[in-house]
Amino acid sequence: MSHTLGTAALGRGRRGAPQVGDAADTASPTPRPRKRRGRGRLRLEIALLTGPAIIVFVGLVIFPVGLAAYYGFYKWQGYGPPTDWVGLGNYKIIFTDPAFQQALEHNGLIVVLSLVIQGPLAIGLALLLNQKIRGRALIRVLIFVPYVISEVIVGTGFSLMLQVTGAVNDALHNIGLGFLATDWLANPNIALWTLMGIITWKYIGFAVILMLAGLQSIPGELSEAARIDGASYWQVQRHITLPLLGPTIRIWAFLSIIGSLQLFDLVYIIWGQYISGTAGTSTMATYMALNGRLAGNYGYGSAVAVVMFLISLIVALCYQRFVLRRDLRGAVTQGVN
Amino acid sequence: MMKKTRAAAIAALGLGVALAASACAGGSSGSSGGGSSSGGNVTLTFWTNATPGPGLTFFQNAIKSFDAAHPGVTIKMQAIQNEDYDGKLQTALASNSAPDIFFQRGGGKMLAMVNANQVAPLTLTAADQANVSAAALAGETLNGKIYAIPMDQQPEGIYYSKDLFKQAGITSTPTTIPELEADVAKLKAINVAPIAVGAKDAWPAAHWYYNFALRECSQATMNAAGTTLKFTDPCWTKAGDDLAAFLKVNPFQPGFLTTAAQVGAGSSAGLVANHKAGMELMGAWDPGTIATLTANQKPLPDLGWFPFPAVPGGQGDPSAMMGGIDGYSLSQNAPKEAFEFLEFLLTTPQQKAYATAFITLPVNKAAQSVVTDSVSVSALQALNKAGYTMQFLDTQYGQNVGNALNAGVVNLMAGKGTPAGIVSAATEAAAKG
Repeated sequence: MSHTLGTAALGRGRRGAPQVGDAADTASPTPRPRKRRGRGRLRLEIALLTGPAIIVFVGLVIFPVGLAAYYGFYKWQGYGPPTDWVGLGNYKIIFTDPAFQQALEHNGLIVVLSLVIQGPLAIGLALLLNQKIRGRALIRVLIFVPYVISEVIVGTGFSLMLQVTGAVNDALHNIGLGFLATDWLANPNIALWTLMGIITWKYIGFAVILMLAGLQSIPGELSEAARIDGASYWQVQRHITLPLLGPTIRIWAFLSIIGSLQLFDLVYIIWGQYISGTAGTSTMATYMALNGRLAGNYGYGSAVAVVMFLISLIVALCYQRFVLRRDLRGAVTQGVN
Repeated sequence: MMKKTRAAAIAALGLGVALAASACAGGSSGSSGGGSSSGGNVTLTFWTNATPGPGLTFFQNAIKSFDAAHPGVTIKMQAIQNEDYDGKLQTALASNSAPDIFFQRGGGKMLAMVNANQVAPLTLTAADQANVSAAALAGETLNGKIYAIPMDQQPEGIYYSKDLFKQAGITSTPTTIPELEADVAKLKAINVAPIAVGAKDAWPAAHWYYNFALRECSQATMNAAGTTLKFTDPCWTKAGDDLAAFLKVNPFQPGFLTTAAQVGAGSSAGLVANHKAGMELMGAWDPGTIATLTANQKPLPDLGWFPFPAVPGGQGDPSAMMGGIDGYSLSQNAPKEAFEFLEFLLTTPQQKAYATAFITLPVNKAAQSVVTDSVSVSALQALNKAGYTMQFLDTQYGQNVGNALNAGVVNLMAGKGTPAGIVSAATEAAAKG
């Protein structure tokens, strides 16, 4: 859920920024001939059209973030107004709490492993599905289906199948691979890899669709020309397809990183409210739910939310500054010209 | 073209304003529920977490007969799903829309409400006192004042299958931990899981630690920890050591860490219901839960009960019991008729109906005659004999410390933690709240 929401919202935000600039640029020259009435009306129009969106955005995004920052300075159980001001006390506890450090470590691992596992796999599958092969449409649908299924259903299904006495272990026993059967969910050495397997299965469809869309936009003439010049299939992919797929890969990686940092629902469903820390699959978001909402420490939980927000923001800004810059620069300069 | 767009924009804005206005209107009409006027016509709001079925029917009937006996008083009941309950109540108490009468979990949550002046202290008449057991009332008392009226008691003990015990050659229920360990070995020999525990929900696992603590720590130590939230007495670590030693005999079902407590045939209650496990440590609601999970959805015929075994050398009273209490509180500005309703719920006929509807043990001793099934009777007898009762520690010490205790116990069971780790986790959690 958080992944889908996050990607949708971010996707909109990313594309939204240059568009606003475009609109302002193209709109400003038009009213010049009829000077007097134009300015005021234009302002009114902008206010009218953006007003509702701004109200919703401020009310549902900016205001709650501000409020969380405010509550984060208090020890507060949620009953009555907060009175016990502790300054940065909550933040000190967060950064010295081994449980939070572990959660952060798990988030980091999930970010890296998602990129390393899903990236090459998605590119490979997309290249394969871009070929004219039999049953291509069916395979595309099958790969995309897990992404459509709700996280709750995926989580419940896997948690049942992966029990010690569940379907997976039974199947392994029946095909003579009983020695592979293990406690997939509770063994702290395996649980994180189980989670990675589920995440990969769940989100690979989204990556493949993005890559396919990217591949479709690469003009066929380029690879045709390379073929004529004597390039092999792999040389074409390496020197033409991959570089031209770069912007798509970079955007996908951005969405994947943010989704991994905010991972919550799959872990919460499969490992429940309490034992993800024990199984070694806790994330910052499950830590926040456990220590904030479930423990009734709304002040402390708000502080954790602020920390999560800042970490995600810093990662996002750094990524935009250092990785996405060349993609954005092209878009912006085109808009201005 | 331009005009059309503008008209559409204005229409959209108008719609937005209308929506916002109606949303505000909805909010304000909701807050007019808690009237503080008494005399004349009074409408009381009443929140419960009872689920549709006999429980909710009981309250509907109680309200009907109370309204009939008190002309001019109308009680409006709202049943809220248990997991949503705390959040909604918290929001309502913070705004001006607090219900007059509401379900109270007690312990740390009640303490927070008292500190925020959101719950009214209650003065019981002698007649009320006669209708309620002193032990249950003590559980709803803070600083010498009563803040909730208890409805029932849910003492905890070990539920077991008599058939499986017979098959394993166990002739009498264990009274000490070494005896329990011997029975675990006998049950293993007939290839069933000796004890089921739903550690995925954490609290069922932690209840093993709670009960070891009840046996190891004195009543004074446990009560003192409620206000100081300091767990420095060595008995807290000793309780963890006891649990660690008990774990050495591998008493629990395989994969217990990802087993839920109450949902589905694979849950710990389901394992007992289907004779896959011999025992389960649980509160008095367990027979009802198990009954929904048997093959024919009927109560398990061979279900038995015995109290948590004694721990040799412990400071706690071996007859002491751990349990839960369900109560009802009044919000700060509730009219006096609200208290009359709580008094009414304590009367013997209402308590009898309550105990039957919720399959539980009533706080009114005169109503205890309705408890007839052998499992509940043995729990009730043990409760009446108990030196004292203690609320579940995650209630007693608040959910914050409770969660940390629960997590510490789960870690110990998973082989990731130590007995000392449980104690230090609880102390660290106290700093977060």
